[in-house]
Amino acid sequence: MKLSMSPRVKRSILCWLLLLPLVVVILFPFGVMFVTALRPRDELFVFPPTWAFSRFVWTNITEMWEKVNFGTALLNSIYVSVSSTLLALLFGIPAAYALSRFRFPGKGLYRQFLLVTQMMSPIVLVLGLFRLMVVFGLVNSPNSLVFTYAAFNLAFTIWMLQSYFNTIPHELEEAAWIDGASAFVSITRIFLPLAVPAMVVTAIFTFINSWNEFVLALTMLRESDSYTLPVMVFAQVAGRYQIEWHHVMAATLMATVPVAVVFSWLQRYLIRGMALGAVK
Amino acid sequence: MASVDIQGVTKDYGAVKVIRGVDISIADEEFVVLVGPSGCGKSTLLRMIAGLETISGGEIRIGGRIINDIPAKSRDTAMVFQSYALYPHMSVFDNMAFSLKLRKMPKAEIEAKVHAAAGILNLMDYLGRSPRQLSGGQRQRVAMGRALVRAPQVFLFDEPLSNLDAKLRVQMRTEIKALHQRLRTTIVYVTHDQIEAMTLADRIVVMHDGIVEQIGAPLDLYDNPANMFVAGFIGSPAMNFVPGTLRREAGKVWLDAAGNTRIPLPARVGGENGRKVALGLRPEHFTLGGGDDSVEATVEVVEPTGAQIEVFATLAGQQICTVFNERHPFRPGERIRMRPSADKLHLFDAETRARILPGAH
Repeated sequence: MKLSMSPRVKRSILCWLLLLPLVVVILFPFGVMFVTALRPRDELFVFPPTWAFSRFVWTNITEMWEKVNFGTALLNSIYVSVSSTLLALLFGIPAAYALSRFRFPGKGLYRQFLLVTQMMSPIVLVLGLFRLMVVFGLVNSPNSLVFTYAAFNLAFTIWMLQSYFNTIPHELEEAAWIDGASAFVSITRIFLPLAVPAMVVTAIFTFINSWNEFVLALTMLRESDSYTLPVMVFAQVAGRYQIEWHHVMAATLMATVPVAVVFSWLQRYLIRGMALGAVK
Repeated sequence: MASVDIQGVTKDYGAVKVIRGVDISIADEEFVVLVGPSGCGKSTLLRMIAGLETISGGEIRIGGRIINDIPAKSRDTAMVFQSYALYPHMSVFDNMAFSLKLRKMPKAEIEAKVHAAAGILNLMDYLGRSPRQLSGGQRQRVAMGRALVRAPQVFLFDEPLSNLDAKLRVQMRTEIKALHQRLRTTIVYVTHDQIEAMTLADRIVVMHDGIVEQIGAPLDLYDNPANMFVAGFIGSPAMNFVPGTLRREAGKVWLDAAGNTRIPLPARVGGENGRKVALGLRPEHFTLGGGDDSVEATVEVVEPTGAQIEVFATLAGQQICTVFNERHPFRPGERIRMRPSADKLHLFDAETRARILPGAH
């Protein structure tokens, strides 16, 4: 066998070596989460710490589920994330379409305004938002998060969709008009089906942002029945005499599962949608 | 099928005037080609007929009906785009059936119409495929099929052959012409390629800078161009222009060109003594040989094309192109004598660039 490698193989090995530290940084917390979630309670605090443990304790998860009311928090999280994603798309699609297709006064200014809103940290606005929700009577309601998450993700949604919409040729809609389609029909039957990849990518980002958001949720939600997953996990750690780390980690492990599912499910659409592309 | 009347049509984007008053009458069943260099407004005019651009001034009628304020979807035109604009997420069949489905036509009827169009265009085997599985020529056919199934009042073609390779372009050109001869639908066709215009059109509209330079049958434009623009645009290789001063003395007429070159002209040409003119000579209107009415030129580059030999030469300090059918062994640097055909040359006013008609002194 020849020992020499092609430059391509060498280059990819080099790339992997350079990326390795990054992979470790990303995977380490997952590793800790995984082994802590599934090890027996009496093996939690051993010194020196080890990765290995005597047996998998799957009951950690079922115990945790009952004890911390995980199901309710999961449903809350799903409700908030799905609703805010849909809401962001509902307003983002028409806005992005208008930016991509129409000329109107103040268009550049509007785009800049959207960008500027992205530069503000939500934490700065938390107090104001809380008072707003008090006025609307939405404190402690997951709907307060639906609205705020949708609003915070809207700018990103519009930018993302607009840049993709710009790549869909005008001629396709024009062809539809000449074929006898109204503006509405040409958008729903020609334009939107072609924009599916962009909508999927945007939906994934908005969903994950909403799923992981913590500060606003902690501020708005007062009672454990309305907690979303991040707040629920936090509640297992904060202000307790005894922290059940194996339950905390079981909860975080379970909280990552839906995101992974959503991502892998939508990814198929993503690839299919991208293959569709090409007009010419 | 219908006539198209364009009267005093203008288009401006703010202060920029793209179309500056255009009048064209297109008869029913006529094949009219709008031709001109890029930016001349021909595509804009087509899009105004289709309803994709608003009309700033004037009127457009299709079949006698003013369509200025009628939306594109109700104008009953069909358009073939340069990029074909096939719906990428639909099969060939669905692409062609889209307009019929919008009209809520019964399924059986849609199928019959699509199959009929697909039969004409040799697309029967591809109806189930998606556009990206087709070659350029096939996509072009689908785009035409999509227009064909509708049996519209007017077909609009916007540079439909520009994205095809040279060989396919010639083939599709013939197919489009055959299609028109068969269906007799009114066609407005936009191209920047004057060969396409010449070969396809019943009548050509030459546009330049937002105005119509000349309208006429292909050979009429070729033989009697109204001005230097049309003369230079129609015909390939393009007409040669030799600037100079017209001299008329003792029954003889000639052109005083640069470098003391004297080009004899037939007595019938118009224009008075001393007028600044440009002599227009088509490359194919030279014959080799000396004589009183011949001119001398220096060969620069020789390009044999097989059927003919194209010779680029210098005449009166001006590079000109000539085309010869005879297989003369031209050599670069050689001085040749040739006679411009007296009955085929054109004289243009150097200032107004309009043609000086024979006998108009």
